[in-house]
Amino acid sequence: MLFVKNLSVVAVTTLLIVSIAQADEPSPEDWFKAGRKTVVDAMHLHPNVRHAKNVILFVGDGMGVSTITASRIFDGQQKGGHGEENSLSFEKFPYLALSKTYSVNQQTPDSAPTMTAMVTGVKSNDGFLSVNHTILRSEPSAGVIDANKLATILEQAKQNGMSAGVVSTARITHATPAACYAHTANRDWEADSDRPAGATVPDIAAQLVDYNISGGIEVALGGGRARFLPNTVTDPEYGSAGKRKDGRDLTAEWVSKHSKANYVWNKAQFDAIDPNKTDHLLGLFEPSHVHYEADRVAHDKAGEPSLTEMTTKAIDILKKNSNGYFLMVEGGRIDHAHHAGNAFRALSDTQQLAAAVEAAVKKINLEDTLVIVTADHSHVFTIGGYPVRGNPILGLAQGVGEASPTLDLLGLPYTTLNYANGPGYTGASNQQVAGSKTFTTPVTPGWASGSEGHTPTSYSAAIGRPTLSKETVEHHDYLQESIVPMGAETHAAEDVAIFANGPQAHLFHGIVEQNVIYHVMAEALGFTKHHDHHDHHNRK
Amino acid sequence: MKIITVLKFTVCLTIASFSLASDADISNGQVLPELACRYEMHIVPQDKSQTEIHKTWYFWRTANSVQTQDADGGHGEIWQRSTTGNIQYRKLYHNDKTAVEYMPADNASNNISFDWIKLSSMLSQQELDSLKYVKKSEIMGKRSELRTGKIDGQSLEVQWLVDEKLPASIIRKDGVRTVELRLLDIAPLLTTQYKPVSVADIGNYRQIDATDFGDMENDPFVKKLMAVEGQHTH
Repeated sequence: MLFVKNLSVVAVTTLLIVSIAQADEPSPEDWFKAGRKTVVDAMHLHPNVRHAKNVILFVGDGMGVSTITASRIFDGQQKGGHGEENSLSFEKFPYLALSKTYSVNQQTPDSAPTMTAMVTGVKSNDGFLSVNHTILRSEPSAGVIDANKLATILEQAKQNGMSAGVVSTARITHATPAACYAHTANRDWEADSDRPAGATVPDIAAQLVDYNISGGIEVALGGGRARFLPNTVTDPEYGSAGKRKDGRDLTAEWVSKHSKANYVWNKAQFDAIDPNKTDHLLGLFEPSHVHYEADRVAHDKAGEPSLTEMTTKAIDILKKNSNGYFLMVEGGRIDHAHHAGNAFRALSDTQQLAAAVEAAVKKINLEDTLVIVTADHSHVFTIGGYPVRGNPILGLAQGVGEASPTLDLLGLPYTTLNYANGPGYTGASNQQVAGSKTFTTPVTPGWASGSEGHTPTSYSAAIGRPTLSKETVEHHDYLQESIVPMGAETHAAEDVAIFANGPQAHLFHGIVEQNVIYHVMAEALGFTKHHDHHDHHNRK
Repeated sequence: MKIITVLKFTVCLTIASFSLASDADISNGQVLPELACRYEMHIVPQDKSQTEIHKTWYFWRTANSVQTQDADGGHGEIWQRSTTGNIQYRKLYHNDKTAVEYMPADNASNNISFDWIKLSSMLSQQELDSLKYVKKSEIMGKRSELRTGKIDGQSLEVQWLVDEKLPASIIRKDGVRTVELRLLDIAPLLTTQYKPVSVADIGNYRQIDATDFGDMENDPFVKKLMAVEGQHTH
């Protein structure tokens, strides 16, 4: 069965947005016409069977289907509509499939094996980056890793003379971008100081800079500066020490080993980069992950580019190669906001990923560029109750015709968005009192711990539920209620969506294993001929 | 039990603080003396059914660092001020040779900023000025001033070591509890028998960004840290 979504989305969206702008709901006839137009348009949809010159893979880390739905409504309500009728940029893509995200050893996976599946075509174990599952977790031997490494789509692109880039709002050595270029059985070995004594497998940051196929990776933009600087060098923005013990300054090495290379760490430097004069760009805008999009402009004194700005700059550099390019772009902090139990930041970072996709599509030609948008895994994030159409997505559920929020069986209002587990549990924690929890732990400046939101390590059992107000739940720092008390909200195991457009995008259909994403990219880029010939030969 | 211990430790430190931040320079630009101190914290709830808490902990101050450690040496915290004026904050788990770092990008998101004066002296100039001078005295052979008053509805009694820029004691009372912080020992950092873990040794600890806890579900240290160890009580 072919999933055709684009045309229905466009038809319905167009009709409904026009109606809302006129403060007039669609008539029954409007709905009927929109539905019919979807089918008629689908009948005229022709798959693009060309080979792809370029591939851009967007990954929303933790961007499950409920996150996409809530972000769609969030975005639409910011535009002045009800929200439900809105579409994020990638929701207008014509082809859609669902991806089964489990890893070889986990029902609910982490980002390492899931990204490994996407970029190598092979599922693996938790914490493994582009190595097969047959080796030990934290295998220290470079020889064993080398013997069991899995070729990535980025490496194959380089071997075929293409350019390659990775962009992320997480550390550029974090699991999702790292799986594209590094091979290790421990995703946390990002700097040499993270490895145990005696380990010979190179750390992830070194693997990025030492990458040597066809002149190395052209673009790497994100966070994670500390892993590239020696501990004898202080961070240019914060003055803290680098995390490398081997004395290597990988930022300097990046510049010295490549021609027409630049390293930037703030927005002014980034903006000054002329893509026509730069062939290799390393941009590291924070010692660790970059800011949430909601906080980026207000809180980063040195300035850092948005995901959209990083994506378009990367394309401008990569597209100079007439052989084409592979680019991976990750919205890495969607996952972090969910782990913190804070829907607002998860939705606003998803909104930014959608903006990056939109900007990318405007820059490329979909006739020769395959664009894929997917997630590595989901989160335990739910949209529930029976709120009226247009009810604020971050708000209290209020039903059709009701003058006040709907009440539960305790007589208390509740929100549309909730988490099955996480730090939003309403019992007293060791950090916050009983009742609603907030992303910003109200600590005393000085003589109080810093905090990544509310990360408790103990709770008292909740007694009933808190009385919620509109002001409380719509605050950007509100942590939606969770059922199970945990210090960090968890990933979820349900399937995630794959949206695709461009050459061979029609090969995405039905419910597929996550590693199929690699095989579609390889087919689109023409990398499968050798494999198919090899398989055919073996079968003989 | 270790985790619960460190939580209580953190709570104690928080309770020891006062809620007003200030940019005032308590030392009037002077370099504060480098000291090693040992403090005792005693929390007495008004509700007698609740448990009293006694904690002893160490405090070390240099020109650009403040480090604390609970009495059994298992847990501590360190704040380091860089040449750019930024403050790096890490929780220290000495038994696990691990430091958990709270990154500037996320502290900003959480509206958390560290007041160096308050970190290194426990009271800001604004807080000290808001307390009424009562009398001079001498404590442990050092010049001291008794100051009293109310801050945020809590009554405070502070014995302030004038030259060391540190409290010899703070007694805070409100309707819920009495919190008493008392200096047990104080010595120059160079000569003290109570030495902090060196910054170099901490640099060799495993460093974890607190943001990554959610993605480290199988890490033994994070598992231990995040595990619920019984109900929390107040």
